Amino acid sequence: MAEENKWKEAELRRDDIKKLLENTKQLAEMYSEIIGIKKAGWENVLRGKVKKAEKEKEKQNG
Amino acid sequence: MAEFSALLTAKAEWKPHQIAKAGDLATLAAAATTLAETVKSTLSLASAGMEVVKLLATLQNINPLLMALDKLADEVLKQIQDIKEAGYWYLYVDPYYEGNVTPKQKYNYGFEQLRNKAGKRIWEVKDKGGNWSDQSGLPTLAQLNEGVAKPRYASPRKLIPGGYDSTQPLLDPLRNANEGGASKFPQFTVKEVITEFIKAFDDEGDVPRYKLLGEVSSAPKAGAIVYDVDGNSYTGWNPKKDFGLELFNIGKQQEEAGKVKNFVAARKALNSKQSVGKPSILGNTAFDGGSGAIAIIIASGDFQEFVSVFNKFSQMFSDIPEFAPNTGQNLLDSLEAIITPNQVTVKLTQVDTKFSSFVVGDIIGGKIYNSIGEIAEIVEDSVVPTVMIGRKAVSATDDVGMITTVMKDFDMNENERWIDMEVIVNPIRNLDGLNPWIAGDMVLEMEQRGTSGTEGDDVFPNYVFKGGDTTELPKELRIYPKVAIVAMEKLMILPDSTPPDFGGIQIKDIVPGWGEFFQLLENFVLQLKGMISDSAAFIQDMIDMIKQVEEFLQYLIDLIDEFLKFFQITLPSQGVYALYIPNQSGGNEGIKQELKNAQGIPDLGYAAGLLFVGTEGDKLIAGGGSKNPIDLLALVLGLL
Repeated sequence: MAEENKWKEAELRRDDIKKLLENTKQLAEMYSEIIGIKKAGWENVLRGKVKKAEKEKEKQNG
Repeated sequence: MAEFSALLTAKAEWKPHQIAKAGDLATLAAAATTLAETVKSTLSLASAGMEVVKLLATLQNINPLLMALDKLADEVLKQIQDIKEAGYWYLYVDPYYEGNVTPKQKYNYGFEQLRNKAGKRIWEVKDKGGNWSDQSGLPTLAQLNEGVAKPRYASPRKLIPGGYDSTQPLLDPLRNANEGGASKFPQFTVKEVITEFIKAFDDEGDVPRYKLLGEVSSAPKAGAIVYDVDGNSYTGWNPKKDFGLELFNIGKQQEEAGKVKNFVAARKALNSKQSVGKPSILGNTAFDGGSGAIAIIIASGDFQEFVSVFNKFSQMFSDIPEFAPNTGQNLLDSLEAIITPNQVTVKLTQVDTKFSSFVVGDIIGGKIYNSIGEIAEIVEDSVVPTVMIGRKAVSATDDVGMITTVMKDFDMNENERWIDMEVIVNPIRNLDGLNPWIAGDMVLEMEQRGTSGTEGDDVFPNYVFKGGDTTELPKELRIYPKVAIVAMEKLMILPDSTPPDFGGIQIKDIVPGWGEFFQLLENFVLQLKGMISDSAAFIQDMIDMIKQVEEFLQYLIDLIDEFLKFFQITLPSQGVYALYIPNQSGGNEGIKQELKNAQGIPDLGYAAGLLFVGTEGDKLIAGGGSKNPIDLLALVLGLL
C-alpha cells in the first residue's frame, strides 16, 4: 500500500460546492419561470376585471 | 473505578469539518436548503393559485415543470444532506497566519565580513613574505586553520544576522536559501509539515476535551464521585479541570424514599465538549478501524509564490473556518504584510549636507538597530535647518578695564550645514526581520553587496553601509555615506486592509439578500393562503410582489454565476501537492505510516498543510462505493 500512495501535484477542484451552486441556480431559474406564468395569469385577471368594470360603468351611464 | 487526570493543551488541533457547519459556504448550504424547502411547500399552492387565476390550460402545460422543480428541490435537499453527513477531521498546519507551529528564521549572528561589489566575501591572506592582502577567492580550510587566511571584517566590527560563521567558514551565509543559506522569510519546510501531520496523531493532549458547564461554585466539589454517560462512576473530579469525557452528576429529582427512580432523566450534565480531539470514533483515540486521509501541502521555494498559491487555495477552501474571510486583517493581508510592510515616517535630524542630503530612492539603515528601508518620499515642507544652539563663554572688557566672562547662546548651524527632514520609508526586511527606527540611532546610506534568498522574486539585495570597506583606508580614499540621526519614528495611520479578490462575491454578501428573498416568499405564501379577496388592488399587489421575487431571483442567479466563476476554475497544480490515502484498515497508525513513507514531494522551504481524515461509517456514500467520507472528498476535489 505504502509504495502505491505518492504525493502528486494536484489540480484541486470543489465539485461539491459547484454542483450545489449549479442546482440552486437551476432551482431559482425554474421557480422564476413558474412565478412568471403566475404573474401573467394575474395580469390577465386584472385586465379582465378592469374591462368588466369599464363595461359596467358604460352600462350604468347608458 | 477509573482514574483520570487533566489533559495537556495541544497547539495544532484536530477539528471536525462539515461544510454545512462552517464558514460562508455553510450559509450557502443553509440558504439552498431553505430555497428548496420553500419551493417544495409553494408548489401545491402554485397549482391552487393557478386555478384561482383561471389558467387551467397553462397549468396543464406547466405540470411537467412543477414535477421537475419538485425533483430538483429534492435533489438539492439530498445533496445538502450528503454534505452534512460527510464529516471529516482536519488539521491545519499554519506556520504563517495565526501560527500553530513556529517557522524558523534561518540565520546566525556573526561579525560582518566585507564583500566586494559582486557580493563575494573578502578574505585576508598572508603571502610567503608575511604580508597580508585582500582577495575574494575562497581560501582553503587548512589556510584558515593555520591562520594564514582570515575573514576581512568590517571596521568597526559589527554583529549582523548572516555574518561570518566560524563553524562553517567556507559556506557563504548568504548562499541560496534552498541550500541552507539564510532566509529573509521564516521557513517551514515540506518535511516539517509532514512531521507535524504525523506528530498530531501522537499528541496526547489532542483528545476530546470537555469543559465545566456553569460556575465552579455550583458544581460538585473536587473529589466528588461523578458519572459518565453509561452511569459508570469516577473519582478524581475537579471542577477546575478539563476532562476527556462527558460527565454527569447524579440527580436528585424524582427521588423516592432516598432512591433515584430514573437515573437518565435525573442526571445533570457537568461539562460540554470544547474540542473534538484527533480522529476517532466515539472518543476512542486509539482508533484502529477503517480510515483514510487526504493531505494537501502548499509549498514553494519562493515565499511570494507561496503566498500567491496559498491565497488561491484558502479562497477555494473558505469553508474551513481558518480560511474564511473575516473582518480586519485577513490571511492574505497578513502574508502580504510579511512581504510588503507598511510605510513608516521617520524624522531625521542633523542630516549632514556636507555628505549630501537624502533623496528619494536612497537605501538607508540604522547603525545600531539594523533597521533598513528605502526612502519613498520626502515630506513636503519638512526640510528645515537643524536648530543647534551652542553655549560659549564671551569675555568683555569694560571701561575700567575689568574683564567679565558671560555664557552666551550661539547658532552652531549658522551656514545651515545640518538639516532636519521627514522621510516616508518603505521598510525592508532584514534577515532577522523588520527592525524599528529608534531615536538616537545613526542612519547611514547603504548600497548593495550581493544577494540572499533563492531565485526569481525570492532574491533580495544584501545591503551594507556605503563605504564600509574604506574605513581603514587613508582619509582621502574613504567613501563617506550620507548620514543623519533618527529623531523619532512617527506613527502612521494604517492603510485600509486590502480586501481579498473574492470579496465581491462572498456568500456573506449574498446572505442579506437571501434573507429578504425568503421574507418575500413567506409573505407570498401567506397571501396565497389567505386569498379570499379578489379586489383589483389585491391583484395589483400580488403582481408587484411577484415582480419583486422575480427580480430577486435574477439577482440571485447573477450572484451564483459570479460565485461559480471561481469554482469553475481549478487551482493550478504548481505548488499544490496532494496525497490521497484511500480507506484502509490500519486506523490512525496506518495513516501515519502512509504519510511517513509517501514519496514524490520536494522538500521546499515555505510550506503549510491541511490534512483531512475520515473514518469509516455504517452507511454507504460516494455513490455507494465507500463508507468513508474521505473517498467522497477525494472525488469532489478531483483527486480520483
